[in-house]
Amino acid sequence: MTGPTRQRAPVVLLRPVPGHTVIHRLWAGTKLIAVAGIGVLLTFYPGWVPIGLVAALILTTAWLAGIQRGTLPSIPRWLWILLFFGGATATFAGGSPFIDIGSVHLALGGLLSFLRITAVSIVLLGLGAMVSWTTNVAEIAPAVATLGRPLRPLRVPVDDWAVALALALRAFPMLIDEFRVLYAARRLRPKMVLTTRRQRRKRWALEVVDILATGITVALRRADEVGDAITARGGAGQISAVPSGPKRADWVALSIVIVMCAIAVTLELTVLGTL
Amino acid sequence: MTANEPSALRRAGSLQPVELAQASVMAALCAATAIIAVVVPFAAGVSLLGTVPMGLLAYRYRLRVLIAATVAGAVIAFLIAGMGGFMTVVDCAYIGGLTGVVKRRGRGIFTVFWAALVAGSLFGVLAVAALAILARLRHLIFDSVTANVNGLAAVIAHIPDMEPAAERLKHDFATALHYWPFLFFGWAVITIVIVTLIGWWALTRVMARLLGIPDVHKLDSSTDSGPIAPVPVRLHDVRFRYPKVDHDALGPVSLSVEPGEHVAVTGANGSGKTTLMLMLAGREPTAGTIERPGAVGLGKLGGTAVIMQHPESQVLGTRVSDDVVWGLPPGKSIDVHRLLGEVGLDGLAERDTGGLSGGELQRLAVAAALAREPSLLIADEVTSMVDQDGRDGLLSVLSGLTQHHRMSLVHITHYNSEADAADRVINLTGNGGAADNTEMVDTAAAPSATVPVAHHSAKPVLELDGVGHEYASGTPWATTALRDINFAVNEGDGLLIHGLNGSGKSTLAWIMAGLTVPTVGTCLLDGQPVSDQVGAVAISFQAARLQLMRSRVDLEVASAAGFSHRDYDRVVAALATVGLDPGLAHRRVDQLSGGQMRRVVLAGLLARSPRALILDEPLAGLDAASQDGLLRLLEELRRSAGLTVVVISHDFSGLEDLCPRTLHLHDGQLAAPTTAGGVS
Repeated sequence: MTGPTRQRAPVVLLRPVPGHTVIHRLWAGTKLIAVAGIGVLLTFYPGWVPIGLVAALILTTAWLAGIQRGTLPSIPRWLWILLFFGGATATFAGGSPFIDIGSVHLALGGLLSFLRITAVSIVLLGLGAMVSWTTNVAEIAPAVATLGRPLRPLRVPVDDWAVALALALRAFPMLIDEFRVLYAARRLRPKMVLTTRRQRRKRWALEVVDILATGITVALRRADEVGDAITARGGAGQISAVPSGPKRADWVALSIVIVMCAIAVTLELTVLGTL
Repeated sequence: MTANEPSALRRAGSLQPVELAQASVMAALCAATAIIAVVVPFAAGVSLLGTVPMGLLAYRYRLRVLIAATVAGAVIAFLIAGMGGFMTVVDCAYIGGLTGVVKRRGRGIFTVFWAALVAGSLFGVLAVAALAILARLRHLIFDSVTANVNGLAAVIAHIPDMEPAAERLKHDFATALHYWPFLFFGWAVITIVIVTLIGWWALTRVMARLLGIPDVHKLDSSTDSGPIAPVPVRLHDVRFRYPKVDHDALGPVSLSVEPGEHVAVTGANGSGKTTLMLMLAGREPTAGTIERPGAVGLGKLGGTAVIMQHPESQVLGTRVSDDVVWGLPPGKSIDVHRLLGEVGLDGLAERDTGGLSGGELQRLAVAAALAREPSLLIADEVTSMVDQDGRDGLLSVLSGLTQHHRMSLVHITHYNSEADAADRVINLTGNGGAADNTEMVDTAAAPSATVPVAHHSAKPVLELDGVGHEYASGTPWATTALRDINFAVNEGDGLLIHGLNGSGKSTLAWIMAGLTVPTVGTCLLDGQPVSDQVGAVAISFQAARLQLMRSRVDLEVASAAGFSHRDYDRVVAALATVGLDPGLAHRRVDQLSGGQMRRVVLAGLLARSPRALILDEPLAGLDAASQDGLLRLLEELRRSAGLTVVVISHDFSGLEDLCPRTLHLHDGQLAAPTTAGGVS
């Protein structure tokens, strides 16, 4: 988004890691259900057992999908610094549990809380990353249409949503390219010459409005053209040439996720609860 | 699912084509801002801007459109930036929707404030309720933050005399947390109100700018009912005049298209070719009659199919095979592979449409049109944005169609050579009234030399030494765009860098302008890295509109050149350099033609006396007359003003005089350099 000038590993948008593994072949809907289910699990029971189980599941999935370390975007230094400070202050807070190693008396309560919430955030990010790294963009909208089918009798316009999602996914990379050019064009220009003091004070506001207006103008033009293209095809209808839906591997995957969630909740509520 | 509903039912029905298009593009825009806000450090403020596209949707369309856009944008943001992105889009839609609706009702800032207060309270109640239910998560978050605060207090307590302050901090925080429902409620109300007011301000400012934007959407869904039979069609003295215009865009025209016929329609810009397309596609003429045996059936099976100019916008699927079936009625199955084979795209069914060249995209559009087995196919200037190879391929596909299908083909083109394959050629003469002032532009006085003439001195301006570039280095997506590029551009040179789609020529242009730092090698401008001198080398992008950031021509030129817009003489001088009339100075940017936009960009760039000028596909999308005029202008500038010009293009035609030297770029590498025209 800020041009490819940085040398650190960039965030690659909406492109799956190359490969044809079991995970790549799973139906997109399965992955969305799994992510939603696990997300709910972690928001209700953010204990160490659920975190550990989900982390194990993510690592296994990553291994099955052949995701290498290079896939991860590099972690910026400021995030490390932030984590360090968070960890340090939490450590000083003390609190139970206490550990005695020789003469050193350690109070780990604060640090453990901090580590747990950090772990929850990382695991949730990892879940989302697994979906975007293994799913072809073209499969997402049809999956949403299928998943939303039960809502149709309630007059929820699921099909409209799926079509809008498919088109938005198609338009997204084009808009990102246009933003890159817009940003570059902005860099090429000299600093704005402002004649009055009032204008000078509002420099940033002027620039924001300039960029917003240009961006939206371009988007509106794009939308007009896309609207023409849809009209030329007689309106919306099919969005996918290949029928998609859950297969045997999907039922297996879903069962694994459900069993894992059940185990996590049971352990959390009985023997290994965190609180 | 059909677009064929009477307008009375429209408000209740599913989304119309225009609504769908607006919802999806604005959703993508909002998702992009949300993702930047989440992913880029310290850019959280960018998320405020996401309220503007959503506000615009709520202002212009019904609520259903906003909801569809929210779902689409939230899913995209989730896929890239996780829950944070998802929530940002939802918030943007909530606040943007609020401001948009208030604006549509014509109310002012007072209403917005109260509405924001109510909306904020609602949001606060929801947030508190959610936290009350998610007790474990709440405890975890509170424990963690408390630990941070207590730890900080413990550190502070070690500073002499600060112990009471530390104790106070600990105590106050614990008290505040005790009353957390009030804390969160208040926080929700205040942030929502502030963000809404900022969103309101931005929406107001942006909408003031958007007033002059012409609606470039052309096609309307066909509303006629009955059996579909668009041919034979007979036009008698048809005229068409756009609303609020004082001359006819077309006509009077009388013509007919018979079944199975291949008709070419030629004519200059402004002769009404595109308007004729609209007439054939079902729009009602202002005068005269159009006879058809049945309904037009735009986009319907056996009806009328239209292929338009812009390759990227009319391909709607992300995967090639999906695009072929896009929009077909549910249940209709077709042989995708046979259709792709017919247009010469065999084996590409699983490919991503994002990676196709312009020519391939247009052939895909033909396949999608053929999937509807149309009786009438209209191709409207389909080759104008396509390179020479793509053009040839596309024409051979088109010329075979009437033999293999029971259909009539109307091919609208401004190239006479493309009309040869047709059974019959109709030449629209037009009345010239709609033409922009290209003629005037061409005859404008030659620009005077502003820089001392320095013909072909051996002094290098730009030097590329061992330049190579790789995108996404170190990830599984790493792709090499350029390898071992060595060349120099001398003062006063005219250099053409020629390459096909995906040859890396745009990357090279960005490197030469200093916008991209190459992963290997150096690109020097006057001995210093060009990336340290962004702006010294001017670059004119293919999409000229993206380079025009101000609303009016004089503001734009002044801002791009770095002087005040009150300096009218300099604005006029800059416009004169590119052969534009001073009368254009007060014209709104969005009312310019494509050729004029490109010239305004050049005016701004040249006024800063750049060391070199890079032009990325300068002729794309321009009609023949504008191309010619622009080329002559550039030649003149190079010859008399000693301007160093580098053109990046997939085309040769007409560039020989401007660029005596040519470099061929193929798969990121330079082929043997060729020189012509006596430049060493």
